[in-house]
Amino acid sequence: MPRDEIPPGTLYMLILRMLERYGELHGFEIAKAIEQISRDILQVEEGSLYPALQRMLVKGWVKARWGTTAENRRARYYRLTPVGKKQLAVELEQFERVMGAVARVIQPA
Amino acid sequence: MKTIEKLGELGRRLRLLFRSRDRFDREMEEEMRLHRDLRAHEIQDAGVPAEEAQYAAQRRFGNTLRLREEGHAASGWIWLERIAHDVRYGLRRLRRSPGFTITAVLTLALGIGANTAIFTLIHALYLKSLPVTRPSELWSLGDDQVGGTMGGLQGNFSLYSYPLYEYLRDHTPEFSDLAAFQSRPMDVSVRRAGGERPAEHYFSEFVSGNYFRTFGVQPFAGRTITEADDRANSSPVAVINYRTWSSRFGADPSIIGETFLFQGLPVTVIGVTPPAFFGDTLRPDPPDFWISLHAEPLFSPGNSLFKQWNEYWLYSIGRLKPGADPAQVQAHVTGELRQWLTENYVAGRFNGDAYIASRYQDTAAQHIKMMPGRAGVAWERYNYHDGLILLMTVSALVLLIACANIANLLLARSTADRVQTAIRLALGAARARIIRQVLTEGLLVALLGGAFGLWIAFQGTRAILRLGFYASTYIPIDARPSLTVLGFALAVTVLTGIIFGAAPAWIASRGNPADLMRSGGGRTGTERSLLPLKSLLVLQVTFCFVLLVGTGLLTKSLRHSEYQQFGFQTQGRLMARIDLPQPQYPPARLEDFYRRLEQRLTQVPGVISASYSNYSPLDGGGSEEPVSIKGQATVPSLGETKWPAENRVSAHYFETIGTRILRGRPIDEHDTARSQHVAVIDESFARFYFPDEDPIGRHMGIQTAEHAGDYEIVGIVENAKYFDPTLDRYPTFFLPLLQEEHYSDTAEELEQKSTKYIESIQLRVTGRPEDFRDSLHSALNELDPNLDIESIRTFDEQVGLQFTRDRLVTKLTGLYGFLALILASIGLYGVASYSVARRKNEIGIRMALGAGRARVISMVLRAVMKPIALGLTLGIPIALAGARFVTSLLYGVKTYDPLVFSVAVAALTLCAAVAAFIPARRAASIDPNQALRTE
Repeated sequence: MPRDEIPPGTLYMLILRMLERYGELHGFEIAKAIEQISRDILQVEEGSLYPALQRMLVKGWVKARWGTTAENRRARYYRLTPVGKKQLAVELEQFERVMGAVARVIQPA
Repeated sequence: MKTIEKLGELGRRLRLLFRSRDRFDREMEEEMRLHRDLRAHEIQDAGVPAEEAQYAAQRRFGNTLRLREEGHAASGWIWLERIAHDVRYGLRRLRRSPGFTITAVLTLALGIGANTAIFTLIHALYLKSLPVTRPSELWSLGDDQVGGTMGGLQGNFSLYSYPLYEYLRDHTPEFSDLAAFQSRPMDVSVRRAGGERPAEHYFSEFVSGNYFRTFGVQPFAGRTITEADDRANSSPVAVINYRTWSSRFGADPSIIGETFLFQGLPVTVIGVTPPAFFGDTLRPDPPDFWISLHAEPLFSPGNSLFKQWNEYWLYSIGRLKPGADPAQVQAHVTGELRQWLTENYVAGRFNGDAYIASRYQDTAAQHIKMMPGRAGVAWERYNYHDGLILLMTVSALVLLIACANIANLLLARSTADRVQTAIRLALGAARARIIRQVLTEGLLVALLGGAFGLWIAFQGTRAILRLGFYASTYIPIDARPSLTVLGFALAVTVLTGIIFGAAPAWIASRGNPADLMRSGGGRTGTERSLLPLKSLLVLQVTFCFVLLVGTGLLTKSLRHSEYQQFGFQTQGRLMARIDLPQPQYPPARLEDFYRRLEQRLTQVPGVISASYSNYSPLDGGGSEEPVSIKGQATVPSLGETKWPAENRVSAHYFETIGTRILRGRPIDEHDTARSQHVAVIDESFARFYFPDEDPIGRHMGIQTAEHAGDYEIVGIVENAKYFDPTLDRYPTFFLPLLQEEHYSDTAEELEQKSTKYIESIQLRVTGRPEDFRDSLHSALNELDPNLDIESIRTFDEQVGLQFTRDRLVTKLTGLYGFLALILASIGLYGVASYSVARRKNEIGIRMALGAGRARVISMVLRAVMKPIALGLTLGIPIALAGARFVTSLLYGVKTYDPLVFSVAVAALTLCAAVAAFIPARRAASIDPNQALRTE
């Protein structure tokens, strides 16, 4: 099954959305969640998730704490902050606006 | 909201910055490992062998190291972190060598402090705006180079008569307001009407009704003067300075609306200015009161300037309407001026006086220069202009010397660290990084020095202000550094840090690692490797020499002017300045008053003689009068517009001030209003007007030839200085106080009348003149409790006052010169000891080969003396050229004064010898065995 790279600039939005939906997740869970929900179409370039999460931490969109997984391994769990929630709304709106425009452009007349 | 988010982000970044890098890396590594493991499990579960699954997971994940760096870059500021690292490294290095650090920081603190102190003054005098509304809209009509009262044409107009001001105000619509005010504050005696306190002395200034509106000054209490207060027949009102109100009236709000007696004249105080407002001019004696301009005729009923159209005594500052072009307005007002002059001078009022008409024909040469009025009236600045420029230059030189010193120290250090640097380079350190580290170290030293320098600057400025304004009631400059001054200090600091850090940084990065490591750290240093150090040394010596010469010239000049023959004696003498108000003292009462004054003064125990006159020596007063001489058809003026000075004096005047009578007799008690009119002239008057003949018995007069026979010359006295002590002597004639002539010209009549009023009293006493202050004060108060006593000073104090500025400039230059000498010596010592340390083996070998101690010492000395000699060779022509710029500050000294130059050479050479001798002796005590063994 062919997999598509996620469109550039949407990584933050996807991460924020996943955290909004599932609450606290660690990095691998975020990557898995994106793949599953997109029915394996969208593929996160796995490593790039982590620098992105660092950037989001600095911007205050997410908060992190260390916890343990079901298999009893240490993992860093991320969750959304109010600022992140607002950011998600902004990104979604922007995304829909752009996609709507693109859709209108390519629509058969 | 946006800002708060940004601040939060900044905070998180800073927190990350201070968290350790190791922990960050560990944590990121751990979560990424978890990811890869979980992915590998997943792949393994799909049936792939474990090892292969690991690889696949790794491939999908990407380059861990790169990702970690990326995360790191995202989380903090990489550059900031590097800087923080460099700073930590630099601080560690500085802590390791406290000797170097303390020397460098102190040196720089002195240099930066010296510069910041002078800049504080320059900032206050030149750059600071008046504390008024939108100061940039204010423009001054004229450059205010002259002040006081002037008659006749100025060429470049700064002073205006009231009629001329009115004309300009009414014809220049580009100004939303154009104000006029007295160019110099005036002395007044003020007492509360009905109060018991005797009158006290204050300064006041007449201002037009729109003055406060023009500046946009709102009252602190009460109200300010308005145009309604400044009309013919409106009763006089005054606004009091906040400072005066709080310091002399205890901030008593009840004085607002109260009537005060100004020179005995009732004036209502209507309000208080805001605390920040000090008037239109930054000066040590700002006005205590501003009085409505139309009241001027009441203050001097006999000789009011107000209606005089050809007496110029007002400055004018206006507020331009938005969008008005100053250059166009300047052309406009100049046109108006010429128009007004033509109407008044050429076309009319000088009926028939061909001489005056011909002189005023040329109105085309008259103009007005519009100057920015942002900082107020400029004249006080001219006084300090040359001195400040000199001090700024001097302090910049000191700073350069300091920089050279530190550059030398850093150079020596970085040369010593060359092996370490070489190893780091060899191990792959980037050259840029090494340069940045050395630069950072330099900047650190600079910042430490700058911080300390600010403190020195604050203390220094306070000391300078105390010295410069020591006889003033008010210091108009705040020594505390303003934001601009802080900015200046920071800029200087960073600049110096870069200047003295750059050379060592460059050298540090240039070394070829292989070469350096082979040579074992350059221990067998060659002369060539000392080249940068020595060039800096040459520069230091050059600058230092220039400074020493400047100090020498100024000191010599000050001694010359302070210890010159003034033409009067100072021991056992004191003078008082008083102001006789004309309303209370009509001319008819003067004779009686003078008699009582003389009686009362001679009754004071210990007084040898007493006198009174228009002016005392060196008190800055004087008036010029055109003279005519009987038997000389045309009498030349002294220069373009200069005429001799007139001074009316009482009997015993010359003996009281100690001016010798050269020939004939002085003015004495027999010279009354009704006796033969006589004059006494001074030597330079005699030489100028009677070059080949005996003046005694000849006649002279004031004004035109018909008055040439008025006064018979009965005596010649020695020249004495009445004005600026550094100016040439001014031909002067002396007349008895009450002898007067009849003039057909009313202006001249008025002029003569005003010369009958004394402004000065002199006493010659036994014992210390300081002790007579109180008895003189009470004697005068007894005569008239309303009398305005402006000041009582001994002659010595009066002379000293003339040199306040020169003493200040000379002292500071001297201080800076001394500083430079010390800095240069330290630099020399540093270079000499460093070169000895580097040449240890060479010296050891030489000694082993039989060189004696004396030879070693002379070898080291010779090496140091070469840059000294070179520095002096460069310094002499530079000093000669530079001295030309300070000629305006020199009196009685040639710029090429050989003594000053020789002393400077000797001082530098001596210091250099001492500084180099210590390391030279150390070199001579090297044990050859030991020196060679360490190789």
